[in-house]
Amino acid sequence: MATAAAVGVSLSAPIRTVPVAKAELLGRKPVRIGQMLPLQRMAAAAGRGRVVVVKGTQSSTPPDISEKVEESIKKAEEACAGDAVSGECAAAWDEVEELSAAASHAREALKANSDPLENYCKDNPEADECRTYDN
Amino acid sequence: MASCTIHTAPYSCSISRPAAKAFSLGFHQRHQQLIFFSSGRRSAVVCSAEKTVVIGLAADSGCGKSTFMRRLTSVFGGAAEPPRGGNPDSNTLISDTTTVICLDDYHSLDRTGRKEKGVTALDPRANDFDLMYEQVKAIKDGVAVEKPIYNHVTGLLDPPELIKPPKILVIEGLHPMYDSRVRDLLDFSIYLDISNEVKFAWKIQRDMAERGHSLESIKASIEARKPDFDAYIDPQKQYADAVIEVLPTQLIPDDDEGKVLRVRLIMKEGVKRFAPIYLFDEGSTISWIPCGRKLTCSYPGIKFFYGPETYFSNEVSVVEMDGKFDRLDELIYVESHLSNLSTKFYGEVTQQMLKHSDFPGSNNGTGLFQTIVGLKIRDLYEQIVAERAAASAAAAKV
Repeated sequence: MATAAAVGVSLSAPIRTVPVAKAELLGRKPVRIGQMLPLQRMAAAAGRGRVVVVKGTQSSTPPDISEKVEESIKKAEEACAGDAVSGECAAAWDEVEELSAAASHAREALKANSDPLENYCKDNPEADECRTYDN
Repeated sequence: MASCTIHTAPYSCSISRPAAKAFSLGFHQRHQQLIFFSSGRRSAVVCSAEKTVVIGLAADSGCGKSTFMRRLTSVFGGAAEPPRGGNPDSNTLISDTTTVICLDDYHSLDRTGRKEKGVTALDPRANDFDLMYEQVKAIKDGVAVEKPIYNHVTGLLDPPELIKPPKILVIEGLHPMYDSRVRDLLDFSIYLDISNEVKFAWKIQRDMAERGHSLESIKASIEARKPDFDAYIDPQKQYADAVIEVLPTQLIPDDDEGKVLRVRLIMKEGVKRFAPIYLFDEGSTISWIPCGRKLTCSYPGIKFFYGPETYFSNEVSVVEMDGKFDRLDELIYVESHLSNLSTKFYGEVTQQMLKHSDFPGSNNGTGLFQTIVGLKIRDLYEQIVAERAAASAAAAKV
């Protein structure tokens, strides 16, 4: 059942995939944050006699930056395991912050570049398709 | 126009910086400086028609791509883009009138260097303030510079890029006001002060989609940077001409989503060419809820406050907005009651906010005050240009 659900084929029992944030996947106590409340409700509704397949939320960050972020978090946790107030610990978490910021910028850049009309108009603002009437 | 003559000592070319590349001296802008001779003696009176106006913005969240920058450059007209044909990881943004420089480019230690020494990027030891001062001064005087590039993805210092003096230079980063020499070069300075709760909520929204991140890691990251932040970045607040403080809302009890915000615009009194905005009556204390008979607002409504205060032993005026805008008419209603906005026409603030309604903060005080500060900076720039034109006209008559 689970494999068929992953492919998206509908069987007798309606299957619903619920995108769940990572915290819930790892069984951590979900924190009351805006984006999680509706998901909790969905998961509860889905649980009533239906098969639920959970998949991690899809991040649109380029994979290489995403990997760097993951690695840096692991390294930071290691660095701070010894001494939580050392310079190395702070520097390691600073690196995590820097890479997370870079990842978020990369995500935005991807979103910004995804519209072919916008990209064309950036280079050719005088073209007929790109004319805007502000006044 | 008179021909250009260099009268100040040119910057020495012997600056050896990261990639061990000697910086080129650069060139002067055309028509940049006029020299007048009086009574047979050489007295160099510089009347610069186009000296660069320098704005400093202290913000924690990255460089040049922030919402504030985009709003600011939009007020001046044109969209700011990374320089074409250059390093794709450049942090610089260039539009017709404005160039935005990221102060991370003045890191003296790259990521590996900082890890070895155990310092964060917030630490002054990781930044080259001498180079920052020299280059900002050079650009202000009309000399192009070769500015290093700090690549945020690789964490290395890349070969420099050429920055030509624009009409308006914005330096954005962690330490624009840390060094007193750089501080004196700024014509206007802004500090974006995000409170810890709001910072936490925003970082959760930004990072939760990342694999590897969890609530604990986000929290740990903020906590680990806090000591350096409080020691080196936070004190710059007292030097800023305008502080935009973002706090959790007081209208919704126990709100932790950070969607409704309480934003305070703290404006220093007595700053040259900067007239603080006010509500109804300058200098008095006003508490204002615009929602009522004329204007209907949805939950949780909007609340305004205006009054004089003291901030780090400076006299300031504070305009505060708590709540969010749901509709266009709320925005225009609020705009029509604020004074000293330096708009060129009625509804300009609303128009600018609508132009960027997809930007974060477009429905609350962050977008509103960022837009207003942008208009104030435009007004400051135009005043400087007018002063210079008047000065050169007066000198020409002599």
